[in-house]
Amino acid sequence: MESTLLSLAHGFSVALAPANAWYAFLGCLVGTLVGVLPGVGPLAGISILLPVTFGLNATQAIIMLAGIYYGSQYGGSTTSILMRIPGEASSVMTCIDGYAMAKKGRAGAALCIAAVGSWIGGTFGVLVLTVVAPPLATIALRFGPPEYTALLVLGLIFLAYMSSSSLIRTLLMACLGLLLGMIGIDNMTGHFRYSFDLAELGDGIGIVPVAVGLFGLGEILSTPSAGAVKDIISPRMRDLLPTRKEWNEAAMPITRGTLLGFIIGIIPGSAHIISSFLSYAVEKRISKHPEQFGKGAVAGVAGPETANNAASTGAFVPLLALGIPTSPITAVLIGALMIHGVSVGPTLVNEHPDVFWGFVASMYVGNLMLLVLNLPLVSLFVTVLRIPYAYLYPLIIMFCIIGVYEVNNSTVDVWIMLIMGVVGYALRKFDFDPAPLVLGLVIAPILEQSLRQSLIMSNGNYLIFFSRPISLGLMMISIGLLVLAAYAFVLHRTDWRTKLAKVEAGETET
Amino acid sequence: MSLRADHVAGVFFIGVGLLVIALSGDLPTGTLSMPGSGFLPKIVAVLTIFFGLVLALRAAESKPFAAVPWADAKHAAMVVAITAVAVALFEWLGFLTTNILLIFALLVVIERRRLLPATVYSIGVVVVTYVLFAYALKTPLQAGPLGF
Repeated sequence: MESTLLSLAHGFSVALAPANAWYAFLGCLVGTLVGVLPGVGPLAGISILLPVTFGLNATQAIIMLAGIYYGSQYGGSTTSILMRIPGEASSVMTCIDGYAMAKKGRAGAALCIAAVGSWIGGTFGVLVLTVVAPPLATIALRFGPPEYTALLVLGLIFLAYMSSSSLIRTLLMACLGLLLGMIGIDNMTGHFRYSFDLAELGDGIGIVPVAVGLFGLGEILSTPSAGAVKDIISPRMRDLLPTRKEWNEAAMPITRGTLLGFIIGIIPGSAHIISSFLSYAVEKRISKHPEQFGKGAVAGVAGPETANNAASTGAFVPLLALGIPTSPITAVLIGALMIHGVSVGPTLVNEHPDVFWGFVASMYVGNLMLLVLNLPLVSLFVTVLRIPYAYLYPLIIMFCIIGVYEVNNSTVDVWIMLIMGVVGYALRKFDFDPAPLVLGLVIAPILEQSLRQSLIMSNGNYLIFFSRPISLGLMMISIGLLVLAAYAFVLHRTDWRTKLAKVEAGETET
Repeated sequence: MSLRADHVAGVFFIGVGLLVIALSGDLPTGTLSMPGSGFLPKIVAVLTIFFGLVLALRAAESKPFAAVPWADAKHAAMVVAITAVAVALFEWLGFLTTNILLIFALLVVIERRRLLPATVYSIGVVVVTYVLFAYALKTPLQAGPLGF
C-alpha cells in the first residue's frame, strides 16, 4: 500500500506538471464538447482527435484522450437535460427525469446534481483503480496463451451477454469484427490474407478508420440535417445550486450509482450504457415515490449520471492491468498508446511508470477540472448547441477525414472509413449496434495468436484450457454465461435490452 | 409470410460467411497441433453463417422489411458521393483546397445554403483548422500543388 501511495505521489508530480495539466484541461474541455454535440460520441471524438496527440509524448497523449473520454460522459448530460437529446448513448436515462426537471425550471439543479454525481462516481472509480490495478497486473504476469485465450473468449461472451442489442446481433457483429481483424499478413506464417494485393492492407485494417466510419460518419449519414434542431432550455446561473431537499434526495442514489457503475464498468460490453440503465431501474424500484420517475425525480438524474461515470473509470481496470480492451473506446486508447510505442498490459506499470501513474493521477485532476469547469461554462455549451446542424456536420466530416488520414498518411484508410460509414448507416437501419464489431476487430490478432500458441503448446489438445487453474475458472464463467444467455434466448424472456429499447422509444416503464 | 428485416440481415451474414470461406481457399487450415493461417478465419466464417441462419430463422420477431425507414437515404447518398469525390481529390489538391470545396459543396448542394455565407464559412473554418493543426499542434497536413 505504501509503495502504491509513493507511486501515486509520483503520478501527481507528472500529472500536475504544467504541460500535462494543460492537456488534461484541453481533453476535458474538448471531451465535454464532444459529449454535448449530438452525433459525435466519445468513440468518434477520440478517434478523430487521435492525430492531435501525435506531437505529444505518450503520457500527454493518454492524459488528453482520457480527458476527452470522461469529459464526454459529463457533456452528454447537458444535452439530455436541456434538449432531451442524449449526447451519447449512456445519457439516454438522464433524458427522462433531467428534461422533466428542466421543464419545471430546475435545469440548473439537474445539471449541478449530474456534475457532482459524475465527479463522485469518477473519483471513486479512480480510487479503486489505484488500489486494484497494480496487484491485478502482477497476477496477470502469470498469464500464458491459454489464459489470454480464455480471458478473450470470456470477454466476447460477456459482451454478447451484456450488450445493448440482442445476443445473436452482438455475436454477429463480433464475428464480423474478428473477420475484419484477420485481414493482412498472418503474424505466425507470413501469409497475406484477404488483402487483394493492396500493400496498405498488409498491416491489416486499422481501428481508427473503422471506428470513425461506423460511429462518426455513420451517425452523420443517419442524421438528416432537417429536424435536427430542437428547443433548448437555457439555465440561469442563479438556479444552478440545488436545494437542501434536492441534495438529500440525490445523496443515496449517488452512493448506489457509484458502486454499481464501477462494478459494471470492469465487465466487458457497453458498460456505461448498462450501468446507467440499471441504476435508473434500481432507483425506481426502491423509491418510496416511484410515480415521480419520468416527472422530474432527482434520483433519476443522480443515479444514472453517477453510474455511467463510475463505469467509464472502471473500464480502465482491465485496460491498465491486463491490456484487454473491454469496450471500443478503451480499444482506441490502446491503439493510441501503441502509436506512441507503449504496449499496454501487465508490464505497463513497471516499464512505463510515468505513463501509468501519470495517467491515474490525471484522472483525479481531470474529474476535479470537469466539476469546476462544467457548471460555469454551461452557457457556452448551450451556445454551441445553437449552431445549425447543417453547418456542423460538414465540419465533423472534415475532422473525420483529417483524423483518419493523419494516422498513416493513407487515403486507403479514408476509403475504408467511407465504406465503414455506409456500413454503419446500414447497420443502424437493421438495428445492429456496431460497438462489438470494433471490439472484435481489436482483439482478433491477440485472440488468434494466443489460441494458436495454446494449441501448439498442447499438441492440439483443447483440454489445455481446462487443465490450468486460471483458464479453467475463466472458461467455467464463460460456460455459465452461455447457459444463462441460452436460457433467456430460448424462453424469449424479456431482459434489460428490451426494457432499454422501450425507454429509448419513449416509454418510461422499467 | 412477409419479408422481415432479419431475413435480409440473416441472408447477408450467411453470404459474408460463404464469401470468406470461398476467399480462404488458398489459406492453409493446418492441423490442431499446428493451426495454419486459415484456421481461425474459417471457424469464424462458419460461426457467422450459423448466427446468420439463427437470425433469419427467428426473423418473425423483427420489423417487416418494408418498415425499414429509408427517408434519409437520399441525403446519406449525397453526403457519401460528395465525400468520396473529396477523398479522391485529397492527395492532389491538398488539405486546404479539398476541404474548402467539400464543405462548400455540402452546404450548397445538399443544404441549399446561400453562396456567400457558404463560401465565407467553408474558407473560414478550413483556414482556422489548418492553422491550428499546422502551427499550434505541429501536425503536418497534406500539402497541395501550391504547397498548402
